Amino acid sequence: MPYNIAMVSDFFFPQSGGIESHIYQLSSKLIDRGHKVIIITHAYKGRTGVRYLTNGLKIYHVPFFVIYRETTFPTVFSFFPIFRNIVIREQIEIVHGHASLSSFCGEAILHARTMGLRTVFTDHSLFGFADAASILTNKLLKFTLSDVDHAICVSHTCKENTVLRASLDPLMVSVIPNAVVAENFRPLSNDSRAADQGAMSPVDQRPQPAPIGPDDTITIVVISRLFYNKGTDLLIAAIPRILALNPNTRFIIAGSGPKAIDLEQMLERNVLQDKVEMLGSVRHEEVRDVMVRGHIYLHPSLTEAFGTVIVEAASCGLYVVCTRVGGIPEVLPQHMTTFAKPEEDDLVVATSKAIAALRSNKVRTDRFHDQVKMMYSWRDVAERTERVYKGITGDISPEEFYGSYPGQGWEVSGDRVRSFALIDRLKRYYGCGVWAGKLFCFCVVIDFLIYVFLEMWFPRANIDIARSWPRKPPADKSHSSNGGRRDQ
Amino acid sequence: MPGRLTVHRPTPTTASFTVSNAPRRSNPTAKVLFAFGILLRVLSFICVIAVAITRARHHFFEEGSFSTIAWEDVWSSAAGRYACQLVDSYNPSVLAIAGTLILYGVFRRGHTEESLLVIRGFGIQTSTSSSTYLSTAATRFIPTTQIQDIVIHEAFKGFEVRFYLAVIVEGEPGVLVVFPQLLPGREVLEEVWRGSRRCLYDTKS
Repeated sequence: MPYNIAMVSDFFFPQSGGIESHIYQLSSKLIDRGHKVIIITHAYKGRTGVRYLTNGLKIYHVPFFVIYRETTFPTVFSFFPIFRNIVIREQIEIVHGHASLSSFCGEAILHARTMGLRTVFTDHSLFGFADAASILTNKLLKFTLSDVDHAICVSHTCKENTVLRASLDPLMVSVIPNAVVAENFRPLSNDSRAADQGAMSPVDQRPQPAPIGPDDTITIVVISRLFYNKGTDLLIAAIPRILALNPNTRFIIAGSGPKAIDLEQMLERNVLQDKVEMLGSVRHEEVRDVMVRGHIYLHPSLTEAFGTVIVEAASCGLYVVCTRVGGIPEVLPQHMTTFAKPEEDDLVVATSKAIAALRSNKVRTDRFHDQVKMMYSWRDVAERTERVYKGITGDISPEEFYGSYPGQGWEVSGDRVRSFALIDRLKRYYGCGVWAGKLFCFCVVIDFLIYVFLEMWFPRANIDIARSWPRKPPADKSHSSNGGRRDQ
Repeated sequence: MPGRLTVHRPTPTTASFTVSNAPRRSNPTAKVLFAFGILLRVLSFICVIAVAITRARHHFFEEGSFSTIAWEDVWSSAAGRYACQLVDSYNPSVLAIAGTLILYGVFRRGHTEESLLVIRGFGIQTSTSSSTYLSTAATRFIPTTQIQDIVIHEAFKGFEVRFYLAVIVEGEPGVLVVFPQLLPGREVLEEVWRGSRRCLYDTKS
């Protein structure tokens, strides 16, 4: 059964990044499956009002006040009137929020529950527990997630993190990884037209790429924003040692950020300008052209929920060296990666090992693209997300959705299917903390009163129903049944 | 109050769409009330003028000026004396403010009327009625050569998302919104949009 879905997040195009492209790809694949999807985000400079993208994807750029890094000011209630208007005129049934730092997303989930809609939340990032900012963020997340119908995380590490931060029932959290558009990340060997034929002809007929000789130059590519959490300090420490240990290696570094100056200083101190090329920031569509110039992709990040970029690198036929942090170990199979501990010595050793492996031609990087294409596709992500929607709307039974465990001492209780009654919602919020619980209850009651007031002041009958883009026929059943089983 | 649409189509190449939020006045009670309202407006207008004349009697309305009326007799009559006494007992500024307010009420148009006139081969004209009966409607004419398209789109207005009909005019940074004050609902707009496009571009009719 097709649904009307609203994706809500502070982060969307024209800003570019992982969350933005996730929302876009997921939405367009859901539209392909016959659903109606709209996106609600805040207004960007030069981009306000209502817009359409290809495929009939409708975007509401709500004019709102932006405080920090494209996040809107958290006002809890001020978003409600316009949100209610959009939800009614688009006949939305499911509200799907993205990114825990987005105040739009948190508010939308609260209001949607007040209005009696099903909600889903996707978490894209990992957070700590110790420092003051994390504690505050975690409380806010708890507020958002106390009443959500289902949560989705991009990796199992991320799921563990979210479950701990928001004290959720683990069965209410699904893992659905990100994906890549493999066609946009082809290795150099099967460029453009060759790739179309390559899909049809057997893999073995393709000419094997020239093996790397012992004296050939090996290029290591690093594409990341140069921030502390992306491990730029580690990179700065490791580059001179890697270059000293391995002659005939080159670095290409793309990306910008506050650590770019430190990196440049290191290059000047060690006189490595001829061996390390700095490209500055590159646009997302140029990433592939940078990647195919190299043989190894180095990813020194200190924290990462999923790490789409290493999938993109593997898809381009690069051997991946990465730190064993966050969700990264789940992302790629063993033979595509060399793992390092997030410390200088181990990173140098791992990179040298990877260079040696490439030089001895042990790694068949030319097969990576097809393997990645088999592993990650947005269609699969959309199918699994659709199964979550079916589970929360009751189109598949709770036993099937959450799994049935007879005789284990606990049952699939009724609390997982969240009721909309105000008293039940208050009970859930009250458990959030000694003071926070009472504060959250207060907010929920106010929100409910605002809702009653809005129903009187702006009656539903006066709101025009928007016309929908012509729907595509729903996807056939066979795909959804075999694709959706893996998300627990 | 939502706007009502009336369409006039005297020839196939001409069409006029009028949206108005004036009350409908179909039953006798409403008609009587409407007539009563007009009477009230006329009476209030006469009252204000009379008070103004009485107030200014020492300056303009004495013997000599406007000699068709015997002002001396007017002021010395019983009603005239009572009126003079009443008017003089109030502060002149209070009278001025009250008079202005009443005059505004008399001339205020209680409703808004907005229209779109489409003539093939010539252009379109939008008009929005003014808030009082004293000034004329604000109109804007766009010749056919400058019309790029007529579209229905959505925009944020206050706490709502509203549909609007807009004319894209060549060489202008913004669009021209038709019915900018009433912003009628989607069904009305779709009818106007279809009708005006048929009138402008359809070669069959």
